[in-house]
Amino acid sequence: MHKVLESKRAMRQRLQALSFSEKVKLLEKLRDRSLAIAESPLRRRQHVKG
Amino acid sequence: MKATLDVINQMQVDGVIGKYAIGGAVGATFYLEPSATLDIDIFVSLENSPGSPLLTLSPIYDYLTLRGYQAEKEYLVIEGWPVQFLPPSDDLDREALQQAVETEVEGTRTWVIAAEYLVAIGLRTARPKDYTRILQFVESGVLDADKLGSILQRHGLLAKWEQFGVKFLGGNP
Repeated sequence: MHKVLESKRAMRQRLQALSFSEKVKLLEKLRDRSLAIAESPLRRRQHVKG
Repeated sequence: MKATLDVINQMQVDGVIGKYAIGGAVGATFYLEPSATLDIDIFVSLENSPGSPLLTLSPIYDYLTLRGYQAEKEYLVIEGWPVQFLPPSDDLDREALQQAVETEVEGTRTWVIAAEYLVAIGLRTARPKDYTRILQFVESGVLDADKLGSILQRHGLLAKWEQFGVKFLGGNP
């Protein structure tokens, strides 16, 4: 568990150290993914089921 | 997003808006690891309409809709990104805008609200996602404690900060 937490912390630090331009590219990918998930028929079906 | 910022910079050149700065999740991403967001918050200084004491976003809407951009609820969709323009609501916002940090996105010049002001504004807004972001700021080590303390004191947010510390940081903000 300690290794997992350390690995996550190191990953966050790597991401934090990126330039703003590089981070913005990641933001765009995250946004595209969020929109794709939101529009997925699977998610819509789950949402209807509640 | 570069294309979105190009349009906003052109609005500034054309005199539709004054100084502006990115806030919210996109602004926080300047300092932290990126986190998913669907929109861009732009803090923006506006001129009063002639003869009116009220600030109005109409010039922004007129300028953008004339150029084919669509309004959706409180957003204007500019080059694929929903953008919310936020005129300063108080002295904290005004100061945050004045102290914004200059940077660039793929060669396009832009400004971002300073980390300590993002924390203060988040504390004032006080939604669960604001608290999550404040915790990220605290853990990241990017905050200047003296600068943050001074901002919180100036804008009457020290009590809120102490409550936040008790609730989320074991009483040690």
